[in-house]
Amino acid sequence: MIELHRVSKIYAVGPVKVPALSDVSFRIAKGEFVTLCGPSGSGKTTLLRLLYRDDVPTEGEVEVLGEELTQLTRTQVAALRRSIGIVFQDAKLLPGRTVYENVAFVLRVLGTPRREITGRVFDALRAVGLSARAQAFPAQLSQGEAQRAALARAIARKPLLLIADEPTGSLDETMAAEVLDIVKDIWAGGTTVLFATHQATLAAALQRRTLRLLAGRLVKDEG
Amino acid sequence: MFGFLLGEALRDLRRAGHVAVSAILLITLSLAALGAFWLLSSNLSLAVAQFRERVKIVVYLKRDLAAPEANALIERVRRMPGVAMVRYVGKTEALGTLKQVLGKEASVADLLPQNPLPASLEVTPTEEGSTLSGARNLVTRLTAMPETEEIGGGMEWMDRFAHGQRLLWLFALGVGAVLAAASILTVSTATALVLHARREEMEIMRLVGAPELVVRMPLLLQGMMQGLIGAVLAVWVLIGCYALLGPRIEPLVTETLGVTRLAFLRPLNVLSLMSAGTLLGGLGGWLARGRPEP
Repeated sequence: MIELHRVSKIYAVGPVKVPALSDVSFRIAKGEFVTLCGPSGSGKTTLLRLLYRDDVPTEGEVEVLGEELTQLTRTQVAALRRSIGIVFQDAKLLPGRTVYENVAFVLRVLGTPRREITGRVFDALRAVGLSARAQAFPAQLSQGEAQRAALARAIARKPLLLIADEPTGSLDETMAAEVLDIVKDIWAGGTTVLFATHQATLAAALQRRTLRLLAGRLVKDEG
Repeated sequence: MFGFLLGEALRDLRRAGHVAVSAILLITLSLAALGAFWLLSSNLSLAVAQFRERVKIVVYLKRDLAAPEANALIERVRRMPGVAMVRYVGKTEALGTLKQVLGKEASVADLLPQNPLPASLEVTPTEEGSTLSGARNLVTRLTAMPETEEIGGGMEWMDRFAHGQRLLWLFALGVGAVLAAASILTVSTATALVLHARREEMEIMRLVGAPELVVRMPLLLQGMMQGLIGAVLAVWVLIGCYALLGPRIEPLVTETLGVTRLAFLRPLNVLSLMSAGTLLGGLGGWLARGRPEP
C-alpha cells in the first residue's frame, strides 16, 4: 500500500539547507492502522505531503497504491489522489458552504452523478454522526464537529487510504476521542489509515503500530 | 458537471465585485471603440462602392470626330477590359450641356469667339474596372490612345478616399489592440483576485484529485462571462449611439459622401464582436494562474 525507501527531504531557505526528513524507510500493508507520532517539527506533515504528492522527496523513492510518485504526471497525481482521503488539523472546510455542500462539493468536482450525491453525502454524515447538522455552516460548528465534517468529506469518496494529519491536535479530550472512534470505524470498514499525532499518550492509547519521527529521522517502528 | 462549473464561475464573478465590473467596463470600452471604427469604416466602404457605381472616366479628345470615326473609337474602347459603356460627347453637345448648367447665364457662352470645349468619351467602367487596380489599368490604356488629350474623372479622389479608409482601419486596429491588451490585463487581475478568494476551493479540488481542467474551468468561464457581458454592453452602446446620432448626421453624410442611409453593423459583425469579447475574457481568465503543482 505504502512504501518509502531511503527518503530524504531537504528544504532550501536561501543559502541554508534545512533537512526535514533523513533516510526514512518503512512499509505499510493494505488494511493497516498506523500511527505516525512525533513532536511538532519532527517531519510528520512533510512525510504525509510526500504520500499524496503535494511535494517530492529530495532523495529516495515513495510508492503509494502501487505507484512510484516521483515521476507522476499531473493527471496521474490527480488519479492517485482520488483514492486517498485526507484530513487536516484545521479541517479546511469551505466557509461559505454548509456541511452538506462541503461534502457534496468534492463529489461534484469528481463528476459523481447528481442522483448519487445526496445519498452518499448523507451516508458519510451518518457515519460521523453529523446528519442533523447538514445545513449548518462551518462557523456554526464546534471544532469537533468541523473535524467530523472533514472526515465525512474524506470518506464520501470511499478512499482506499485515509491520511489524517493531526485531526485531534486542536481538540479537547472528549472531542478527540469521538474523532478517534470515527477513524477506527473507517479503518474497520477496510480503509488503510495513517494517523499522525504529536500526542504520545494518544498514540499509546491507540495500541496500533507506531512510527516515531524525531528531527526528521524514523527512530522507532513498533507494534 | 458543466452546470456545476458554471455555478462556480457565477459565484466567483460575484466575489470579484468591483474589479469584475471594471474588467467588464474596459471590455465594453474596447469593443465599443472597435465597433465604432468598424461602423465608420463600413459606411465609408459603402460610400466608396456607391461612388464607384456612379464613376465615369472622361477621355478628352484632341479634336472633334466625324460620326464614322467616333463610332470606330467607341467600338475600340468598348472592347477594352473593364469597360461597361462608352458614349461620345461632341463639342456641340458639350457646349449645350454647359449652357444647361449655366441656366439663366447661358447667354455668356454665346459671347465666346469659338467653342472652347473639347470632344470627349464618357467611359463607364464595369465593377472590375472600378476597383483601384482595374481603374488604373483602364486609365493607362485610355491614355495610350493617339486620340487622347487628357483623362478626367473621380479616380484620384476615390484613390485618396480608399487610402483614408485603410488608414482609419489601421488606426482602429491599433486602438483596439491597446484596449484589448488592457482588457486582458484587467480580466487577468480580476481573475487573480478571484483566485485568491477561491484558493481554498482550488486546494480542496486538487487534494481530492479533480482534473486540472475542472479546477481551472470556473476561472475560464468567469473570464468568458465577463467578456461576453462586456461585448453585449458594447453592442448596446453602439446601437444606442447609432439610434441617437444616426438621424442627426445622416443629412451631412448624404451631402458629403452620397450615402443615402447610414448602415449599422451586419449580424456577422455583431457576432464577431461578441466572440472577440468572450475570447478576450476567456484569455484573461486562463492567464491568471494558481499555485503550480510540484
